[in-house]
Amino acid sequence: MKPIDTTPAGQNEFLSFDFELQHPPEKVWRALTNPVLLAEWLLPVIDYELVKGKTFTLKAPPMPGWDGLVHAKFLEIEKQSKLAYSWQVGELETVVTFELAATPVGTKVKLVQTGFKEHQKQNWGGARYGWRMMGEKLFTVLSTMREES
Amino acid sequence: MQDAAEVENKVFWALADPSRRAIFESLTRGEAAVKDLTERFDISQPAVSQHLATLRDAGLVDNRKEGRCVYYRINPKGLAPLVDWMSHYRAFWADRIDRLERLLENMDQ
Repeated sequence: MKPIDTTPAGQNEFLSFDFELQHPPEKVWRALTNPVLLAEWLLPVIDYELVKGKTFTLKAPPMPGWDGLVHAKFLEIEKQSKLAYSWQVGELETVVTFELAATPVGTKVKLVQTGFKEHQKQNWGGARYGWRMMGEKLFTVLSTMREES
Repeated sequence: MQDAAEVENKVFWALADPSRRAIFESLTRGEAAVKDLTERFDISQPAVSQHLATLRDAGLVDNRKEGRCVYYRINPKGLAPLVDWMSHYRAFWADRIDRLERLLENMDQ
């Protein structure tokens, strides 16, 4: 099922997605918390130990201006129902939360990423980080354009 | 009026294609007519026009007509989603949720 972007229009603090998966919560939880499976769909993880307060690293492909590392720390762990961790890239510090609820056919998931507001103004950083399809050339283009505008 | 997510998707999608990205980058050197772009790339004129239409629909380029020629130029405002954290992550999570669903299909119970 297509994720529904439930971010309220006009606010600039958080992103929110709701989606339903045709799989039971225990299986979804496994995909959300198993390092091997995380590498399959999210990003490869380093020093990942599912314990509240522990830090770990997500490793995206490095690119100009970014070493590719996302620094994270477990904030909330409720087996098969809630998982929250900090998500820090450069100066952007956000929190990513997954909430799972069993349904008759599978699992309803709510994904929220909060903490954008203070950093929206430093938006130039956004172009540098993490968008894997963008090559170095485009970043050069963007930096040129920024000087002109 | 298109909503923000839709505009962002169009921008990211438009630039995901290497040919379109090359055309877009080429336009950063300055305004160009369709025939100039056709000469620069090893792509047919209809294909170049199609790429330009997609870039224009995403708000990345503007055009103007002069005589029988249509000239294209960059619209710097169209790049806003690329330098915006929220739109970056909106696209990131949409892609990752899609990957999660595919992974679950292939996982054992």
